[in-house]
Amino acid sequence: MSIDMSQFYQVFFEESEEHLAAMESLLLGLDVGSPDQEQLNAIFRAAHSIKGSAGTFGFTDLAETTHILENLLDRIRKSELPLRAEMVDAFLEAGDVLRSMLEAHQGRGSVDAAQVQRICERLRRLSDASSEAAPVAPVPQAPAGDDEVAVRIPVDTGQRLYEIQFVPTEIAAHGVGLENLLDELRSLGQLQIVRRGRPGDESATYWELRLLTDKPREAFVEQIDFIAENGAWRITEDTAVAADGSTAFGFFPESPGAPDEVRGYGIYPNVAKEEEAYGFFELLPTSVSDKPDEDAAYGFFEPLPVAEKPAPAEPQIEEGDGYGFFAPLPPIPPAPKQPEPVPDAEASTSAPGRSGRSAKPPVSASADSSIRVSIEKVDQLINLVGELVITQAMLLQTAAQMEDSAPEGLVNGLTQLERNTRDLQESVMSIRMMPISFVFSRFPRVVRDLSAKLGKQVELKTTGETTELDKSLIERITDPLTHLIRNSLDHGIESPERRAAAGKSPVGTITLKAYHQGGNIVIEVGDDGGGLPRDKILNKAREKGLPVSEQMSDQEVFNLIFEAGFSTAEQVTDVSGRGVGMDVVRRNIQSMGGRIEIDSMLGIGTRMTVRLPLTLAILDGMSVAVGDQIYILPLSYVLESLQPTPGDIKTLSNQARVAQVRGEYLPVVVLHELFQLDSVWSDFTQGIMVVLDADGARVALFVDALVGQHQVVIKSLEANYRKVPGVSGATIMGDGHVALILDVSAIAAMARTSMQKAG
Amino acid sequence: MEAMIAAGAAVAEDDQFASEFLTFTLGSEEYAIDILKVQEIRGYETPTLIANAPSFIKGVINLRGIIVPIVDLRIKFRLGKVEYTPFTVVIILNVAGRVIGVVVDSVSDVLSLTPAQIRQAPDFSGSFDTKYIVGLASVEERMLIVTDIERLMTSADMELIEAAAE
Repeated sequence: MSIDMSQFYQVFFEESEEHLAAMESLLLGLDVGSPDQEQLNAIFRAAHSIKGSAGTFGFTDLAETTHILENLLDRIRKSELPLRAEMVDAFLEAGDVLRSMLEAHQGRGSVDAAQVQRICERLRRLSDASSEAAPVAPVPQAPAGDDEVAVRIPVDTGQRLYEIQFVPTEIAAHGVGLENLLDELRSLGQLQIVRRGRPGDESATYWELRLLTDKPREAFVEQIDFIAENGAWRITEDTAVAADGSTAFGFFPESPGAPDEVRGYGIYPNVAKEEEAYGFFELLPTSVSDKPDEDAAYGFFEPLPVAEKPAPAEPQIEEGDGYGFFAPLPPIPPAPKQPEPVPDAEASTSAPGRSGRSAKPPVSASADSSIRVSIEKVDQLINLVGELVITQAMLLQTAAQMEDSAPEGLVNGLTQLERNTRDLQESVMSIRMMPISFVFSRFPRVVRDLSAKLGKQVELKTTGETTELDKSLIERITDPLTHLIRNSLDHGIESPERRAAAGKSPVGTITLKAYHQGGNIVIEVGDDGGGLPRDKILNKAREKGLPVSEQMSDQEVFNLIFEAGFSTAEQVTDVSGRGVGMDVVRRNIQSMGGRIEIDSMLGIGTRMTVRLPLTLAILDGMSVAVGDQIYILPLSYVLESLQPTPGDIKTLSNQARVAQVRGEYLPVVVLHELFQLDSVWSDFTQGIMVVLDADGARVALFVDALVGQHQVVIKSLEANYRKVPGVSGATIMGDGHVALILDVSAIAAMARTSMQKAG
Repeated sequence: MEAMIAAGAAVAEDDQFASEFLTFTLGSEEYAIDILKVQEIRGYETPTLIANAPSFIKGVINLRGIIVPIVDLRIKFRLGKVEYTPFTVVIILNVAGRVIGVVVDSVSDVLSLTPAQIRQAPDFSGSFDTKYIVGLASVEERMLIVTDIERLMTSADMELIEAAAE
């Protein structure tokens, strides 16, 4: 009967992560003074979904913490409590705790039990403290309420109460048909399940529902006829109840005394203690969020405390999810629990029956037409398409060799194939693309926490969140970007007093911008802070014994901050200033095939520009020939190429060579010497110089010839071999041969060391 | 991995349990390697040079989209004449989760050897470190050097793997 839930764990983890992220961004966007109702509801729903699925999967710690969080949230969104800034803080912290719990469940890290305790206390306290404002508020542990039964019917004439009885068909009872029907009925009005049919149990197949709605019976008759066994349904209209709003509750009181009722409640005390049965409770919430008019349902409670007089209702106080009924309810009897025909021992059996729905809430929760696919499958697809591209290039080359003898049909077909493969490749690559908002969304929190800590006022502006880049890049860019933002906040933005003194607005601005530029994605982190102090950096560099001079360009000076152990911060804070970090940032970005540049003006601000390739799988390359070998240069590093004239190349100390390019002397890297190959040329004037920009330092690479320019699929050399100095990877050329992709930064560094040796 | 278990079990349990070996020649010497480590045998094609690699690493080839390094064992062990003809053979091995090609003079045949047939090799110093030798086997008039090819290929000597195990 029980389903192995562990197979869904990964989905649960991913979804919960998403819910947490959504919750966090919503919390940050919340206007504490006058919160938007829609946003509050969205936050509540996120917390709620986490709780629901956590319960389903038996992660009780998660479910319990979310439950407390949810209670407080619910009271806020129902305007029983005013939202306060400290609550937002508590919610954010609770989100962090939940995240760490999630990670612990995935085997990463551990949960600090004391912290969990503390945050739960804090949330409870916030909830309690505010109950003074709302004196009717009960204990946070709310009475149990089933969304399907605990529905209270508002006083509203024109409504009719229908009693619906039916026996569902075999198929409907086992499938989703029944659930759909219930959902549909719920959308019509207030639905109460008096009796649940149990598929497979001959004696209890029929369902009894009560529906209060202002719609005529025609609105749902057909659906019931569809679900029910041939003619096995009956709908009676209870006009008496509907006519008089005040008696609308009439059908509730009759239940508590019924023996069925007692048995129904009897389940709860036992169940509450049994871990395995947890899902039974937690499942229910999910269906609440499935309800289209969930909010409307809550709205009904508002008038009740006044309208109803208190009545005893002990059984409900045990455990469960009050969702909100509890807050105003105490003076009145919480909606009676309808008999769930579930014997104690089988308390959990209702779970599997409904788990199909709970396990995948999105199916019903949103009409989202996306699917989750494992990244391996996508990678495999990308690899296969890469193969296809190579094969296609090979065919094209063969046809080109045939020259005029190639039949026209073949040539046309190949041209079409080329177009199709290119389209296919683009589409496949786009599967891996994700909007950068996945990264950006975490920064409001970073800025918020950090600016509070540093006593600065900072506003974060983001643009271009929809810019897409490869998923693997998204994962790897997060840390460097976080670092850059922290850096801007700590070192860039000045304290409010200093800003005011400088005639700037006391609120600093950090801008985060992403956009595409010629096959690259550019991410800018800008601030309107103090800018980089050139003199200070130079002094510091001299102290460190770095070779610097006053003649260095600003760009070169600013790049010094990427040197390991370099920090101009007067004071080491726990945020930054230890001098580790910027070098790691640059290294991380370089390892992604990207680059980072700094622009800064003293007193105006600083802008860090990170340029990344769109993907790690494909590269725009320029192929160059050295001897009989072909190498690929990443096009993003190539500035220009030229044929040296005699006299352009000079030697220093008779060893190192420099080339004069546009009045500037650039170090020359001779690729065939570096790689110990035989060049076809003995003279520099016969070959080609390719001017490369390797992290701000320009070098001239001498090669035999330029061959062409094409997109290459990057293959790993390290999969079967090892890392080769000066080579970042390999690719397969149109003729099936392997060509190595040059690592420009490493080659420039290699040239420097060999030059130093020579010098 | 499976092969290793199979081989180990055979030694421990049943001396009569035969395993299959691929034999190849390097110069005048004949070697035998566990056939389960062999992925395929193909002709030699000129590989792409790898800069500053040891001379016995000929470079990398494209094996149906996978970049595979090619090692010339004749150069490594200074055996036989190093020449590349249309008949030069490359054995593509699948060891330690990697695909590696080795150039040999020729591939002879596939033999079944029982552990009883494989005798301990005398300790000798030579180009071929004895720690990679499982033992010597005589089949008719031939002497086969039974080699632990996985251990050889993953050793630091071969310079094929970054963090090579000794």
